[in-house]
Amino acid sequence: MTSVTINGRTVEVEPGTTILDAARAIGEWIPTLCFDERQDPFGACRVCMVGVEGAPAPLPACTTQVRDGMVVDTRDATARRVAGAVVELVLSELPEPPASHTELAAVARQLGVSGTRWPGTVHERDHDDRHPYLALRHELCISCGRCVRACDEVQGTFALTATGRGFDANVAAGLDQGFKDSACVSCGACADTCPTGAIAELSLLDLAPEPLHEVTT
Amino acid sequence: MSKNLVELIRRHHAEGAPTALEVLKAAMDDHGAITDDDRRVAAERSGLPEAAVHGVSTFYDDLLQPRGRRHVRVCTGTACFAATGDAHVDAVREGLGLGLGERSADGETSLAETVCLGFCHSSPAVRVGDVIDAGPGVVERVLAGAEREAAEPDPVSLLAEPVLIAPGTWAGLRAALERNDPEATLEDVKAAEVRGRGGAGFPAGMKWQFARAATGEHKFIVANGDEGDPGSYIDKWLMERNPELLLEGMAIAGFVVGADHGFVLCRSEYPRSKPALEAAVARAREAGCLGQDILGSGFSFDVTIVEGAGSYVVGEETALLACLQGLRGTVSARPPFPAERGVHGMPTVVNNVETLCNVPFIAARGPQAYRDLSPGATPGSKLVCFNERFAKPGLYEVPFGMTMRELCEDVAGGLVDGHEIKALQIGGPLGGILPGAKLDTPFDFDALAAEGCMVGHGGIVAFDETTDMRELARHLLHFGASESCGKCFPCRIGLRRAHEMLAADAPVDRRRLEELLETLELGSLCAHGGGMPAPIRSLLAHWPDELGLVAA
Ligand SMILES: Cc1cc2nc3c(=O)[nH]c(=O)nc-3n(C[C@H](O)[C@H](O)[C@H](O)COP(=O)(O)O)c2cc1C
Ligand code: SF4
Ligand code: SF4
Ligand code: FES
Ligand code: FES
Repeated sequence: MTSVTINGRTVEVEPGTTILDAARAIGEWIPTLCFDERQDPFGACRVCMVGVEGAPAPLPACTTQVRDGMVVDTRDATARRVAGAVVELVLSELPEPPASHTELAAVARQLGVSGTRWPGTVHERDHDDRHPYLALRHELCISCGRCVRACDEVQGTFALTATGRGFDANVAAGLDQGFKDSACVSCGACADTCPTGAIAELSLLDLAPEPLHEVTT
Repeated sequence: MSKNLVELIRRHHAEGAPTALEVLKAAMDDHGAITDDDRRVAAERSGLPEAAVHGVSTFYDDLLQPRGRRHVRVCTGTACFAATGDAHVDAVREGLGLGLGERSADGETSLAETVCLGFCHSSPAVRVGDVIDAGPGVVERVLAGAEREAAEPDPVSLLAEPVLIAPGTWAGLRAALERNDPEATLEDVKAAEVRGRGGAGFPAGMKWQFARAATGEHKFIVANGDEGDPGSYIDKWLMERNPELLLEGMAIAGFVVGADHGFVLCRSEYPRSKPALEAAVARAREAGCLGQDILGSGFSFDVTIVEGAGSYVVGEETALLACLQGLRGTVSARPPFPAERGVHGMPTVVNNVETLCNVPFIAARGPQAYRDLSPGATPGSKLVCFNERFAKPGLYEVPFGMTMRELCEDVAGGLVDGHEIKALQIGGPLGGILPGAKLDTPFDFDALAAEGCMVGHGGIVAFDETTDMRELARHLLHFGASESCGKCFPCRIGLRRAHEMLAADAPVDRRRLEELLETLELGSLCAHGGGMPAPIRSLLAHWPDELGLVAA
């Protein structure tokens, strides 16, 4: 077993356990956006940053394995600053604030990010409503890769893919023909994991997006 | 990288299937654009799901830029920027009446941007089809349809006896096979302290040791010939003019770690590389230096050449492995490291082309001879190359430890027409920028790091006194944002915001910019987002007045 101290509490975990899993096991919260415990860690969102004693800079908790004797501070000031700055960047790519029931809105609230100060390009509105109850709103996609991995790793269907590069990264079903004409089996695993509501079951879309507070950060 | 997709690829590869990227590239070469039918065919032939193929087809420049019968690619790399301030890009655009990424309505002509054609010694460079023209008059020739193949300078070695530019002879592989003790050869490579020449400077021997210790049904050696750094044409020369040396280095690596196959991934911006490497592989097989039972030793090793499709970040090792297997060239978090899980999920060594070219000398002559090539602490020699602003631009083999002044003035002859060195960018776009006043800094890993710079891959790009540093910042961030693979959030969004900040016709809020650079440095998944701030930090430190800053 490997011994790791998180926020002052020492726990024993299996070798190879990630900092995130170790922290969750003892009820310590670390913000995450691209993580879903049903999937392999992805390391894309970078909001799961934590301080580690002796490390020159914060480390991502979801992809860093614990070492024996490691001392972790999930509330490290630099780590939290980076996480907050990343969430502010994420809000800046959306044409509208995320609906308040979404995981993204919750993480923003928990990190005290009430809006974005970044002007600049936002994702263009592009709705795909061809499926009877799975809707894809491309502009809300933050490229966390969870839907693609849910389809690949959990469902084994490979109906979804990441598309584009850089700021234009997004997702598509099949050859971008929408869920209906792709290999999609309508299991809803993607909608279930999506942290922004970019993929949602149509019934949930009736919840109108609630703006976050005025921009203050 | 999806384990399930990699497993699919492994199974289809075993049956001789091409990768999805290969099929898509061929479709592009054939009819200049990718259709859904092409994607379906690529899925069927490669065994990849249709959605995954669609993802691949939307990632690479070569698959996205529509091609006319006459496909013109204008270089927007940093050496060409240093030469003209991008005036050549505007001139080609206006002359053809096309925007970048556009094709004329009649399908005759198309224009696209490309980042570095490896003719930085003769900037600006333009490619038409597979002909690369460069230097004075290039724009006029291209517009007149009279482009011609530009010449490339011969390399010069400052060593008593050249190592990297001497033609490969297979003597190192012969020596290693005769000795027949992979562990001893590994010890020699470790003792020689070869540091990776791809940018990160990681000790090659240590990487080989991990891969040797890893277990796998097969193991692979991958030579990283992506050489994306604008301003570098080192690996280009090695792959095209001295490919035997590279293949020999790969075979020795294979012998040491127990690999039976190697891949070279070369970039598509160098149309001559893949044919040159394939011809060298054929010669080597003929000579019994590659293939089954090499030189009667019982050791078997063969090499396949794969070409990229236009993406800077594919040079990053995990993205390289994704591209090699025909997937989207995005970065994956490590662990697992390639040494544990690389090509087809098997243990894989990824080394830069030049790194591997150092190995035959060590195998033939031993670690001490290699260490003696440089007088200081860093062993071996290094290839460096200079951009068109220098009086004697070209490729040089140098020992470590010379000062930048000796390199720039004595070796490369200073700048043309009495221009002054305002600044140097060394080792690629992720390296800091050294002011002309600091030319006494030695060319070595630690000395350059102390100035916020790096040896990197060894490209040396000079900017003269006419370069506007705000324009340079804009240029670099345009590159950074358009090449971001899009995997991690800080880089995907942050480089876009940084570019918008510097490109806007407005003063830059210094504090916000510095906060953004910190987010990129500390948050990014790979050294693209993590390293793009380095040159911007240099500009902030040395030319704050030119950046148009306001304090918040
Ligand atoms: C954005 C990015 C681009 C890179 N491009 C290259 C490249 O073009 N060639 C290369 O050899 N290494 C490149 N690297 C470094 C590779 O990830 C890897 O470290 C290298 O190939 C290992 O070989 P070495 O140890 O022999 O240097 C790049 C890294 C990053 C983050
Ligand atoms: S659609 Fe949702 S789950 Fe899929 S990548 Fe976009 S934000 Fe993530
Ligand atoms: S830093 Fe940029 S290039 Fe590297 S993984 Fe993140 S998005 Fe991709
Ligand atoms: S949760 Fe760790 S990077 Fe996204
Ligand atoms: S040829 Fe243009 S930058 Fe290298």
